[in-house]
Order: sequence, then C-alpha cells, then structure tokens
Amino acid sequence: MSNILLKLRNLKVIFPANQGIVRAVEGIDIDIAKGECVALVGESGCGKSVTSLAIMRLLNTPPALIDVKEINLDGEDISKYSETKMQTVRGKQISMIFQDAMTALNPVMTVGKQIDEVYLKHNNISKQEARKQTIEALRLVGIPEPESRAKAFPHQLSGGLRQRVLIAMAFACMPKLIIADEPTTALDVTIQAQVLNVLSQMQRSHNVSLLLITHDLSVVAHTADLVYVMYAGKIVEKARVEDLFKKPHHPYTEGLLGSIPRLSDSKKHFIQIPDSVPHPMFKPSGCYFHPRCKYVTDKCKELMPPLVKIDKDREIRCFYPLNVDKEGKL
Amino acid sequence: MQRSFVIKRILYAIFIFFVVLTLNFFIPRLGVNDPAERYYPPQGNMSEIEYEIIKQVTREQYGFDVSTFKQYTNYVSGLLRFDLGNSFKADNPKVSDLIAERLPWTLVLSVSNLVISLSIGLIFGTVAAWKRGRWQDSLLLNLSTISVALPAFFIALILSFYFGFELELFPAYTNPNMVSQFDWSLDAIKVVFYNAALPIISMSIGGIIGYSQRTRNSVIAVTNEEFVLTARAKGLSQNKVLFKHTLRNAMLPIVTAVGMSLSGLIGGAVIIEQIFNWNGMGTLFLEANNTNDYPLMMGIMLFMSTIAILANLIVELTYSLLDPRITVGEKR
Amino acid sequence: MSIIKRISNRLIDILLSIWEFIKKLWRHPKGRVGLIMVLFLAFLAVFAPLIAPYDPYDVTQRAAKGLSPSWNHLLGTTITTGQDIFSMLIYGTRVSLLVGLVTGIAIAFLGAILGIIAGYVGGLADNTIMRIVDVMLVIPTLPLTIVITNLFGKSYFIIVLIFVVFGWTGLARVVRSLVLVLKNSNYVKASELAGGSRWHIMTKHILPGVSHLLIMNTALTCAGIMVAEAGLSFLGLGDPTAISWGKMLADAQSGGALLFGHWWWIMAPGIGIFIAVFSFMRIGLVMEEILNPRMKASSGIYKLFKTLNNTYIQEVFAKMDEGNEDLPKGEAL
Repeated sequence: MSNILLKLRNLKVIFPANQGIVRAVEGIDIDIAKGECVALVGESGCGKSVTSLAIMRLLNTPPALIDVKEINLDGEDISKYSETKMQTVRGKQISMIFQDAMTALNPVMTVGKQIDEVYLKHNNISKQEARKQTIEALRLVGIPEPESRAKAFPHQLSGGLRQRVLIAMAFACMPKLIIADEPTTALDVTIQAQVLNVLSQMQRSHNVSLLLITHDLSVVAHTADLVYVMYAGKIVEKARVEDLFKKPHHPYTEGLLGSIPRLSDSKKHFIQIPDSVPHPMFKPSGCYFHPRCKYVTDKCKELMPPLVKIDKDREIRCFYPLNVDKEGKL
Repeated sequence: MQRSFVIKRILYAIFIFFVVLTLNFFIPRLGVNDPAERYYPPQGNMSEIEYEIIKQVTREQYGFDVSTFKQYTNYVSGLLRFDLGNSFKADNPKVSDLIAERLPWTLVLSVSNLVISLSIGLIFGTVAAWKRGRWQDSLLLNLSTISVALPAFFIALILSFYFGFELELFPAYTNPNMVSQFDWSLDAIKVVFYNAALPIISMSIGGIIGYSQRTRNSVIAVTNEEFVLTARAKGLSQNKVLFKHTLRNAMLPIVTAVGMSLSGLIGGAVIIEQIFNWNGMGTLFLEANNTNDYPLMMGIMLFMSTIAILANLIVELTYSLLDPRITVGEKR
Repeated sequence: MSIIKRISNRLIDILLSIWEFIKKLWRHPKGRVGLIMVLFLAFLAVFAPLIAPYDPYDVTQRAAKGLSPSWNHLLGTTITTGQDIFSMLIYGTRVSLLVGLVTGIAIAFLGAILGIIAGYVGGLADNTIMRIVDVMLVIPTLPLTIVITNLFGKSYFIIVLIFVVFGWTGLARVVRSLVLVLKNSNYVKASELAGGSRWHIMTKHILPGVSHLLIMNTALTCAGIMVAEAGLSFLGLGDPTAISWGKMLADAQSGGALLFGHWWWIMAPGIGIFIAVFSFMRIGLVMEEILNPRMKASSGIYKLFKTLNNTYIQEVFAKMDEGNEDLPKGEAL
C-alpha cells in the first residue's frame, strides 16, 4: 500500500474574472512515490505552478476557486485541514523551493534568520540550537563558510548561493515532499547543473520525494524518475523518464523533445510547435492541442480525448498516440 | 552601517546648508542696491539729506557699511555662534532668542500631529490592507480622495466655527496668556492641550488619512511579493508573516514619508496657527512679515531650512539602518 | 527640418496624446464625471460675467451687508462689504483654475525637460540638476512666498512663479527614475545603435514613454496647487483686488462670519475649493488606474466574488470531469 507518498485526485482550479473564467487546472491526478523524483512538465501558462501552490494550499480564495477530491499525504487527506493545521504541515512535511531566490527571500532579514525560522516554528528548540542546525543545513548544500554566510543578506550572495539557501531552507526539517518550482530557470547554465546536483543528491540521500516543476526537458532528463506532461490545465501524458524520451506517445511531448538542442544532432532545423499555448480563458473545442498538432483529425477538433491508462505509470490523452507498437496499446 | 556612507551624507548636508545659507543672505538684498533701503524704506516726509543720514546710521547699526563680501563672512561667522542677528522689535531682541521662545509652542502642535497621524494611520492602514476589498478598504479610499480636497485650514475653520463658537467646547482663539503662565505643572499642561486640541485635530484628520492610505498601499504591495509566499510556505503563522515579514518591509516607504513631513514640522502650521491665534513660529513669522522685520524673517527661514536638512539626514541614515540593501556592501 | 517645424511637430504629438487620454477618460465612468466637473468649472470661469447674478467688482451692485441666503442672494452677502457671495463663488473659479492650470502645465514642461535630460544625458547635467532639486526641497515654500511677496509685492504672478520654480522638482525626480528605466529598453538602444541623435531619441522615444506619467502627474499637481493657492490667498499673499476662494475664507474669518454664525460664507468658498480639487484629483486617479491596471483589477476581484453564482461555478467544475468535457461551455458570467 504505502509506497505512495502523495495522492492528488481531481484537482481543479479556476480564476473568475470580469471577462470570463480562467480555467487554470482542469481535473488532474498525480501520484508521487516515496523517495521518487516526479517532474511536472509544460510550457508557461499550463497550470503547473498553480498546481504546486494548490497542493500546499497556498492559493488564496479570492482570486482562486479550488475543487479537489483528495490531497492525500502519507495517509492523511490534507485538503480539509484548517489553516492552523496546514501551518504544521507546511515547512515540516511539505516544503517548497521557489524559482527566483532573489525575490523569494526577505531582503531585510539575514539568510540565517530565515532558515532559523523554519526550525523554530516546527521544533521546540532554542535560538542557538536552531542556528547550529541552520549552519549545518548550509554546509550540507555546499555553501562555504556557513557561519559567516548565515549572517549575510540575500543581496550579498551570488545567484547560485542564494538558490542553495532556498534548498537548505526547504530541506531543513527533512520534509517528506519537496516541491521545486523551476528551481534553475533563473540561473546560468553552469550554475544550473551544480544546483540540480545538490538537489538530486540531497533528495536521494535523505529519501525525500521531489516534485519538480519545469518547462526544461533537459532538467527532467537529468533528475526525474517519473514525468507528467501538462498542457492547458490537463495531464496529457504520464511516463517513466526513459520511456518518455525514447517513445513519447503524445504529439506535444514529441514537439517538446524535438525542440531540445542536442550536440549529437545532425538536424539542421529545430522542430517547432506552431502558435502558442491557448489563452486560459478561451480554450479550443475538442482536444486542447489540436490547433498545433500536425496529426490533427476532425475527431480531435470535436472531442476531448480521455486520459487512458495503458500500463502502470503510463497514461496518454490522445486518440491517435504515437510510437504505439504492433500490439496497439490502447 | 559603513562609515564612509555616513560621512558622505553628512558632508553633503553641510554643503546644502551652505548653499541655503547663501541664498538666505542674498534674498533680502534682491531688488535694491542699498540694503539699508530695505530695512528703512524712504518715508514721504523726509528730505534727501535726512534720509541719507538715517540710511548711514542704519548701515552702521546693521553692519552694511562694509563690503558685501565682508557682510557675508560676518553673517557666516555669526551663524557658527548661533547668532542670527537682531530683530527690529522693541529692544532689538536676538532672533535666536525669539525663535527659542516660540519654537516649543509650534512643536506642541506638530509633534502631537505627527504622533497621532502616524500611530492611528499605521493601524488603520494595516487593517485596510488586511481587509482588502471590504468596507474598511473602500471607506479609506473614499476618505482619501475627499481629504486631499479639504485643506487643513478649511477644516480648521469649520471646527473653530462649530466646536469653538457654536458649541463653545474648545477655545476658538487660544489663550495667549498660557504662554507666560507656563510652569511644568500638570494643570499647565492640561491648559495647553485644551487650547491645542482644535488645531491639532484640524491637522491630524488629513494626516491620519494620508498615512493610512500610504500604509495600506505599501502593505498590499509587499504582500504580493514572493518572499511573503515563502514565509507562508514555511508554515509560519499569519501573525508572524505579518509582523516579521510584511510590515518590516512595508515600513520602509513610510519612513521616507515621515522624513518628508519632518521637514515641514516647523513651517507647516503657519496657517493653522494664524487661525487659532496660536503663538508659535508661524505667527512669529507672520508678525515679522507685517513689520518688515527682515532679520527675524530670514532668521526663521534659515532655521526652518536647517531643520529640513537635518530631518532629511536623519531619515536617510535611519532608512539605511533599516534597509540593508542601501549601505551594506555588495556581493562577496 | 527647421527648428520651428520640429518643435511644432512635437507639440502636435503632445496634443494628440492628450486627446487620446481625454478619450480614454471619457470611457471610464468615474473619469467621465471628473472630466465633466472640470469642464463645468472651466465654463463657469470663462463665462462668469454672464452667469453670476451680480458683479462683485462693481461697487454699485453691492447690497446690504451680512444678508442671509435668500432668493435674491442665493448665498447671502458678505458682512464686510455687502457683495453677493454666490457671484463671488463663481468668479473665484477664475483665479483657482488659472493658477492651477498655468502652474500645472509649466511644471509639466520644466519637470519633464529637466527630468529627461537628467535621466538620459546623465553625468554632470544629472548631478547639477539633482543637487538643485535637493536644495529646493529643503527651503520651506510657504515662508519663502511670504518673503518674496513682501519684497516684490503681492500678486498671483509671483505666486505662480514660485510654485513653478519650486514645483518642478518633484516631477523631475519621478520622470528621471522612469527615464533611467527606459534608457535600458531595447528600442532605445536600437535607436542609439542606428545613430539617432540624443535630441531625437529624447523626443521621439523617451518623451512618449513618460507622457502617460506626465499627464497623470499634472492632473494631481494641479489639484495640489489649487489647495496651496487657497492657503496663500487665505494669508493675503495674492492680489488683494482679485476674488479668490482663499481670500473669501480669510475675509469671512476676519469679518466675523464665525462669530455671527454666517456659516454659508465659510462653506461656499470651501465647497468651491473642494469641487475644484476633487475633480482634478478624480481625473488624476482615474488616469493612474488606466496606466496601472493591476491595482484596479485586484480590487475588482473582491466585488466579483461577492456576486458569484455558485451553481454556475459548480457546473464549470463538473464539466472538467472525464466524459463531460464535450458539453458546450457557456461563457456568460
């Protein structure tokens, strides 16, 4: 039974506005096993960040309206928890790493104090004890001279160091699940690799589950075990990472993979997916991807394909999935 | 705080002071060749010779008989000894004495105004931000637009009319004797504030609304920043998030705003003082104007400018204490 | 192109963008109100002699002193001179609007030019301008105005002059900050690379970028100036022969309106000031909303949520379930 840490069932999030309703997330299910790294992939605007905030119940009710069947964290359904009870979960059982460390950290507080806060809130320890643990946490993520660095303000640290501070803050109380929202997008490529390594290594050595939200497939290839591909608020494909890269079933996934530059490529052109993501208020009829899909048929224009489970850890939302072998996995 | 920053700001303040001082020196000398004519304008019933003699005496008395440059240096050296010259009033009292005598009275009004406006404004503003979109917030917004359009002196007239004349709850014209009778007894203090009530209230109404609006805007802006989300994501309670994260940052623009009002601490109440006949710096200045008492007028102006410079300096240094991004050095 | 032609082209651009704003204002309900009020006041100012029942300047039209409001004199007459207060109220629009608009526009020009130069050219120009700003900000304007009117006589010309000389500082600072940001934008850099002269870039690229800020700021400045002018007139620093609301308040106070309970003499000019300032502020605030749609949109959300139709929301959610998605999606809220 409980190899599964997080069971998210039927999450729906909308943002009503004067001109219409923004349907950000349209009924998605996500399973995260213990110790596993699950990636949630999609372009900006597909609803991935909203999903992560919804799991942590950080979406405010104006402006959002949320409907979810279950958010089951290690046996407990946290979707019904009161705000006070959620405060015991956040930071301790689930924590989050935001994208831009410069804006995610309080500019007038030292980084040390900001990490101390997490320890002090969830453990009954003294300030000196919390500081000791903070220094340890900084050391663990590879920050040199942690004692003096802890007294620094966020703007005094380089981008890479700041991101490591966020990672240290997230790992502080050894939560069961860490949600990392585009943790490397704001960084230089070289620093990206370092930060990802830290994240990966911390995750595996402490058996913490990681929900990695990103639009960058190279990051996924590097770190993830299981991948959910999201498009316009719906999950369109779920696969283990090797399967996704070797045999993508959804035309959108194929497009995403085709647009990754690879050194070994002999191709002269990138495969581009034409147009752009549909406006979250005015989505197309039928399959949301049909306007950009090169395999589109009339059926696709009228009907929304259901999400079909082909195998354990393999789902696809398409009437004509690609790379289906002769047995026809439908 | 880095010492070089502090020193730079202080030197700059001194520089501005000298510029202001120089302007102050030259202004009364504008428009006439001989400063003595300013101080003693020609009277119709005097002959040429008489007038010349009078001007010469005036020149000697006020030190205009030396070159302008020497006058300037005399002026500056006098200032360094806190000597602003002598007023035209009977017995030529020292300007600095007159200022010292009336200053506390103005401060009673302005400081009370600042304290009341700031404290109530901060609270109301935070509440309005917290209850965003509800009636507290809309009320504040409406009050804000109305308040700017109702100048403090108009409010003062209305209050003076209704509470002063009609209801006779507070004095519409303040009691001038209260100045001479002041000892530091509790009774004396009560009398002072009883008289000061209407002036202070007239000023505070606008002040409270102003600070509330600023605070509300600042708090909302900060609440939308990502680090507040981070704080919530760590599981911190709403109070902790509000006080340690949101307010700590939202206060920064308010500090700047307080600084700006500190500059007007002395000169800002001129009209209000006049309406209520309150013997502070404002009325002193108006009296000086009526009697063409230039030394007194320019002395007060210089004093007000100096206070403004000091206030700015203090605010800059305080702000840099609160916001580490300003002075603490860049990346290591 | 000759200089004259260049300048007139720029002026035409400016007028066009102002016209754009007026159109946008008109569409906005609150803006429309403000605009109507301002036009109404302008109308009063221009046609005062035709609208006011009496001519307050004409000594022969004075009536008995201290009359209470009646049909003959809608707001009564002054205690001191027997002038019709209602007519004075109407004539008062002239001073307020004239001082407010002239000062506002002059400050807009000065503040924009100096702000753009300081921000774009930078260096010595920037330094000098900013130092001047710092000095001007510490000098108390009210006492200074009193001194200058003492030295050179009381007139509105002097008041406007001082307002303008000291008032451009605030605008210049704000414009400068914006220009610093615009300086780094791509289209400016592209123009520089293409060899555009500094004058060309400043007028063709930077100026339109700050024009929105300018217009909004000008409306708010006019509002503030009108309040300040009222205060100065109250102290008697304006032209003593002109009729202004501030002076009316001063006369009311010294004439004993408070003592004798002639509240209408106090309220009339006060309400005049209020309406004038309020209408300009309205325009300025609406423009700010137009420029920064975020603030407005966020507050609107709360109202929206109060009126949400719950069944509709449930339908929206239900249609997201598997199998329901192909039912027609109604969009009306």
